[in-house]
Amino acid sequence: MKKPDPRVIFALVFATSTFAILIRENLAQMAGLFALVLACAALLRVPLKQLFGRLKRLLQILLFVAILRSFFTPSGLVLLAAWGLPLLTTGGLSMGILVALRLLVFIVGASIFTIYPTRALIQAMVQLRLPYEIAYMVSIGIRFVPQMAQELRDSLIALQLRGIVIEELKLKKRISLYSYLLLPTIVGGLRHAKELAMSMEMRAFRAKPSRTSFFSLKLSSKDVILLILIAVAAIAGGFIL
Amino acid sequence: MMRFENVKFKYPTNSDFELIIDNFEPKGCTAILGENASGKTTLGKLAAGILRPSSGAVYYHGEDIAGWKLGKIGRHVGYLFQEPSRQIFAPKPLEEIALPLELRGMPKEEARELALALLQEFELENIVNSTTFTLSRGEKQRLAIAAAMVMKPRFFVLDEPTTGLDKPRRQILAKTLKKMQADGMEILIISHDRDFVEIMGADIRRMEGGRLLDEKA
Ligand SMILES: Nc1ncnc2c1ncn2[C@@H]1O[C@H](COP(=O)(O)OP(=O)(O)O)[C@@H](O)[C@H]1O
Ligand SMILES: [Mg+2]
Repeated sequence: MKKPDPRVIFALVFATSTFAILIRENLAQMAGLFALVLACAALLRVPLKQLFGRLKRLLQILLFVAILRSFFTPSGLVLLAAWGLPLLTTGGLSMGILVALRLLVFIVGASIFTIYPTRALIQAMVQLRLPYEIAYMVSIGIRFVPQMAQELRDSLIALQLRGIVIEELKLKKRISLYSYLLLPTIVGGLRHAKELAMSMEMRAFRAKPSRTSFFSLKLSSKDVILLILIAVAAIAGGFIL
Repeated sequence: MMRFENVKFKYPTNSDFELIIDNFEPKGCTAILGENASGKTTLGKLAAGILRPSSGAVYYHGEDIAGWKLGKIGRHVGYLFQEPSRQIFAPKPLEEIALPLELRGMPKEEARELALALLQEFELENIVNSTTFTLSRGEKQRLAIAAAMVMKPRFFVLDEPTTGLDKPRRQILAKTLKKMQADGMEILIISHDRDFVEIMGADIRRMEGGRLLDEKA
């Protein structure tokens, strides 16, 4: 199957992400949306198994968020209680799962872009009238995500090898630890981006007022049909909400 | 202390490479030499439990470490990453050393004092107040080694420890390692720096295509 034009994916991800933000309470709707994004990703042959393998720790954190939400916004039936305090309620749990699914809609949606070569993505953004520099930075950002995940994992390994059993840490410490570990990852990413920016300047990246592209993207009739489909689905979805 | 028995390992995403170690029991100071991509790093990661064998087992003091959490292995085994910036997670050198101690329940003051003493021992006192991300490779290397040392590992795996170190620094590293060895620590050095492992008086083994060669190199 020929891949659709990247702009179709932009429209798809834009629509699904918007709905992910708009759906506030209805778990069934969010689950449906997630299933839809997942199906699109699977159809486009995104290596999902690999993606979820990489996301294992994030998924654990998401589950954890689900439980936290369930604790702080209790409602519905009490499933688990201690000293008369509700620990797990049906309402809270479904709220927590909703939050987790919302994040997954973003992540799986964004992962679809990885099936395109960088320059196709840049070209799509340029033809969407985004400045080239921004388009370039965004596409680099997308490429950095797996690398940053790898670095975060390495930090975690290094820390555990200093004798820390993460599972044994108190909740509060564990949370502060995760946020602490994110720091070098982000700093590393930013430094890398800065170095890239400098090397781009040195190659006179911004010297020309306008740039021409060797190849340009054309929407095929199939792409147009897909775009119309997405628009119709989005409008229909808007009515359901 | 550490023993590999019929260990086989494959990366799930790479069918071209397989590591096969029938029997390997590094003693004292052992060095693994070998070409790029021969599997040295993979062997080191298996020894530290970062990777787990597909079949066979790695034993530490006769106990199969397969069921051990990484945190438990880390109480006995130290590991220096090939890329030192990969293992430095704190913004300040002092925290890099003190934080794991605090997380393990040591009072803050005590942990900081210990960290400071260690930084001095590794001649890093002049960078106590710098940011770890901007250190030179050699400084990162020394900080990473110092941080691993604070746990007093009984077995220390060092992956390419001399990359980025000039000659005097290499000699300092050799001296430190020898001192720790005299205190009873066993060392596995992964390297292609033949001079260094010879200074260390290491028992040298060669690695090729995922296998350890029998004869002493
Ligand atoms: N995470 C990984 N996934 C897949 N293949 C890997 C991975 N890490 C290393 N390899 C491959 O395994 C082989 C051995 O790598 P490595 O142990 O790093 O060798 P060395 O340290 O001797 O250079 C190489 O062919 C390398 O490409
Ligand atoms: Mg290596």
